[in-house]
Amino acid sequence: MIRYTFLAVVLLCTMSIGCTTTQKQYYFGEYSDTLYDFEKNRTEDTLLEHKQQLEHIVAESKDKNLNVPPGIYAELGYIYMRQNNAKQAAELFSKEAELYPESRQFMDRLIRQSDKTKI
Amino acid sequence: MKKKTVFSVLLLCLLCTSCVTVPKTTKLSEFPLMYEEQISSILILPPMNETTAADAKEYYATTIQEPLTYSGYYVFPYPVTSEILQMEGIYDSELLMNTPLSKFREFFGADAVLFTRIKKWDMSYVVIDSNLTVSVECQLKSTSTNRVLWAYDGTVTVNLSGGGSSTGHILGDLIAKAITTAINSAMADYVPYARKANYLAISSLPYGKYHPQHTKDKQMEIIDQTPQPQEEAASESATTGESAVQASE
Repeated sequence: MIRYTFLAVVLLCTMSIGCTTTQKQYYFGEYSDTLYDFEKNRTEDTLLEHKQQLEHIVAESKDKNLNVPPGIYAELGYIYMRQNNAKQAAELFSKEAELYPESRQFMDRLIRQSDKTKI
Repeated sequence: MKKKTVFSVLLLCLLCTSCVTVPKTTKLSEFPLMYEEQISSILILPPMNETTAADAKEYYATTIQEPLTYSGYYVFPYPVTSEILQMEGIYDSELLMNTPLSKFREFFGADAVLFTRIKKWDMSYVVIDSNLTVSVECQLKSTSTNRVLWAYDGTVTVNLSGGGSSTGHILGDLIAKAITTAINSAMADYVPYARKANYLAISSLPYGKYHPQHTKDKQMEIIDQTPQPQEEAASESATTGESAVQASE
């Protein structure tokens, strides 16, 4: 009896998932949470936490054999750019453009911009 | 334990039925331009805020990128683009509503821009009941033709006084309970519900090129949000229930 109930639960879960969610093709970790924390309270600490989350998403995506989600390399690059690490920033912007050709135009713009900030 | 299982079965049944009892349409018949223009990249514009909650704009903005990306589009990183837009003097998307959007194609290379409008972000108290409502309106416009490709709303109303399983979501319930204890509305955390509202809206968006079902979802059924006078009356009474997902304009 318990077994049937369990089965029914599993079945219903699958049904409701089929109703609403899509297949997970990316790994986003706690992205929205650390970004929200940063928005709530913009400090060095919350920025660092969000940056670490972005790095975690990159590493975890590779582990899981998934593409790094759109925008993650670019956002990480932008944080490096703001921290005056133009070289690392440009590398990350290039990675974004290679992975997602749609971003090429914008990434080239950011690469030019990070060149200018270089001392 | 067993009681809980039965309860969750009932809850899931309820969820499933709520999926099928509303007027339906298909993605293709509702949003044919999405299939015609085949956009692949989306730029999220700063949300427009119609509510009195000043922080809603920044908080809501953090919830859009992830579900939109999962729909299969290249989504420009909002924390980066919003800052650049602000440097370019663009902070109020309202002013862009009726202007040519080609500049976003030139500057970012974006195929489309997403306008979002926060309609509700509040708590309402009725005797001992308190309802939290988050309501958003989304509109996707082409940067090459300026046409509206997709428009949909997402509304989530949660009754916080019951303390029971009002959202059908374990985490949501925990948060709802936490809010009940600290009934101060200023402290309420709207973001989990904003995510849900977004999720409801974006689920009607045809899939983009990075989604395995790209171009295969034309016949997928979605809730028809075209205003129907009788339906509106029905959805109003639904808000008095434990949890209501409205499909109103």
